[in-house]
Amino acid sequence: MASNERPQRGTLGDRLYDAAFQNRLWRSIFRSGYPNTPRNQMLAVATNVFLHLHPTRIHRTHVKITHTFCLGGLSFFLFLGLTITGVLLMFYYVPSIERAYQDILALETDVRFGQLMRNMHRWMAHGMVLTVIMHMMRVFYTGAYKPPREFNWVIGVVLLVLTLLLSFTGYLLPWDQLALWAITVGTNMVGSAPILGEPNRFVLVGGYQVGQAALIRFYTLHVIGLPLIAAVFMMVHFWRIRRDGGLARPL
Amino acid sequence: MTTVTPENSLEPISKAVRGRKSRAREEELLVWPDLVFIEFICAVLFTVLILILSVLVDAVLLDRANPAITPNPSKAPWYFLNLQELLLHMHPALAGVIVPTVALVALGAIPYFDSSSEGQGEWLSTPRAWLNLWVGALVGFFGTLLLILYDASKHVKIFEMIANGTLSPRAPSTPSAEQYAAALEARGDAVPSGLQEIINGANPVLSATDTVPSEFYSQSIWNGASGYTAWPESLEFLTTMRGIQNNIPWPEWSKSIPLGNLLRTDLFGFPRIELNIDIAALIVEQIIPVTAMIGLPVLLAAVASKTGIAQTKRDHMIMQFSGFIAVYVILTVVGTYFRGIGLELEPYTIFSHG
Ligand code: HEM
Repeated sequence: MASNERPQRGTLGDRLYDAAFQNRLWRSIFRSGYPNTPRNQMLAVATNVFLHLHPTRIHRTHVKITHTFCLGGLSFFLFLGLTITGVLLMFYYVPSIERAYQDILALETDVRFGQLMRNMHRWMAHGMVLTVIMHMMRVFYTGAYKPPREFNWVIGVVLLVLTLLLSFTGYLLPWDQLALWAITVGTNMVGSAPILGEPNRFVLVGGYQVGQAALIRFYTLHVIGLPLIAAVFMMVHFWRIRRDGGLARPL
Repeated sequence: MTTVTPENSLEPISKAVRGRKSRAREEELLVWPDLVFIEFICAVLFTVLILILSVLVDAVLLDRANPAITPNPSKAPWYFLNLQELLLHMHPALAGVIVPTVALVALGAIPYFDSSSEGQGEWLSTPRAWLNLWVGALVGFFGTLLLILYDASKHVKIFEMIANGTLSPRAPSTPSAEQYAAALEARGDAVPSGLQEIINGANPVLSATDTVPSEFYSQSIWNGASGYTAWPESLEFLTTMRGIQNNIPWPEWSKSIPLGNLLRTDLFGFPRIELNIDIAALIVEQIIPVTAMIGLPVLLAAVASKTGIAQTKRDHMIMQFSGFIAVYVILTVVGTYFRGIGLELEPYTIFSHG
């Protein structure tokens, strides 16, 4: 880290540096030069919409891996990865009970990297359920749910439910025996609630048994409904972390 | 009219925000590079990890879905197998809907129960934190395991193992007509005439060496005759939770009490609600499970208070939360790896849950 604000002119390296990072093109994209001075480093974070999720400075204890084990960040990272692989899978998948299973088979055998995409999507989905649960445990055991962060904990619980629902709705899509019967068992649980259970199950499945209506409902929820809702709640979650003064630390 | 001053405009904001020490700059680091790089490395590491996993292990794809063939066992996705496990021990409405709903609401309410600021922002930093974590986790884990084993009547096996001094408790196999009649005579009991006929060869179908027909046979008499100590018959209702329903002579009227008749929904143009209560089933499927699920954690909290293991709200929170996580884990593990065909309690290792 340079101690003075402007790098000294003169050497070849400096001139190359200026050509690369002080030109109009770079400046039109990033408002600051290359983040090699404290000023530029803060600007880089504050003026970039993605990095702006962060504050410009944070407490030194929060940089320690063992404080968060990156679990919230990893959950978000997996969410992004699932979005990317999910979009790629959508290119090849038609949510119809005649085609769905065939499409998955074709994806695995005929599509280059198709099996890999499917595997990654699957493992990241399982991984996200795990990281979200572990993130919740880390937040609990560091006492980070205490005031003023109560409500962000509640938003977190909503995110946990959304994560489970995302995974559950995705489970049906391959339309194999595992999918059909896992969803049948799962939705039957909903149906067992007193009075409102059966109507709710009917709405969820779109009929008396898991078939085409259920597949299209689960598909729509899985690829657009739930991800949108989850994204909104994540935005609020991250916003609240900033508003609540960053991560919790001892008073 | 009140004027808004910086002072009173802050009023609704929690004390914790207002009252915090001003940040000491030297305690802080820049997010770029100190945090952004860590996040970047974390992301790269995980990408590589997931890639390797995905190259090595394929996601499962079974046969095409077929509504006509129900696989045995049929299982929900792994993170719901805890609920499916509960389903085996209580009313489906409880296990499938009410318990998860209450659990989620309770989870969300944690910060509103425990709003002290002690132990904030540091791992398990209150004095008895680790103690409470372990007590909660161990009690939750083993308590639940014992309840599962109880409902699979493993205590009966253990009793018979101890009583008979053998590691493979197996009631003696069903005797032939001859053997059974001899046992009856040894006891001084009369041999029923039907059985006598079989032994005398007067029965057209069965002979003396055939297995004794069930109408003459009592397992407990034969156990006694062959020196086998079985679970006492008078305690039959304690073999499983269901035993209370099946092995106690409940009066006929208690089996179907038409509560639906009390709700005059027909007066409002709705059909009558079918609501027939079976008292034994109500006790087994609802009253006992609910009492256990509420009572046991409360009991644990009371004992922890009395003994001084848990003194503050945070102590209790840590104990209950750890217990909850442990229960979630053990139910999921049992549901995943120890429920086989017919959801019997036995090792089950097919990776059909990928
Ligand atoms: C999709 C799911 C979720 C995502 C993507 C997510 C993301 C994050 C991230 C990135 C952080 C910053 C600190 C860290 O990485 O630990 C965070 C903090 C936090 N999360 Fe989550 N989270 C999720 C679910 C949850 C759940 C299930 C809970 C609790 C029930 C929760 C409660 C909190 C709280 C209270 C904080 C503030 C922690 C502190 O101040 O130290 N979040 N979350």
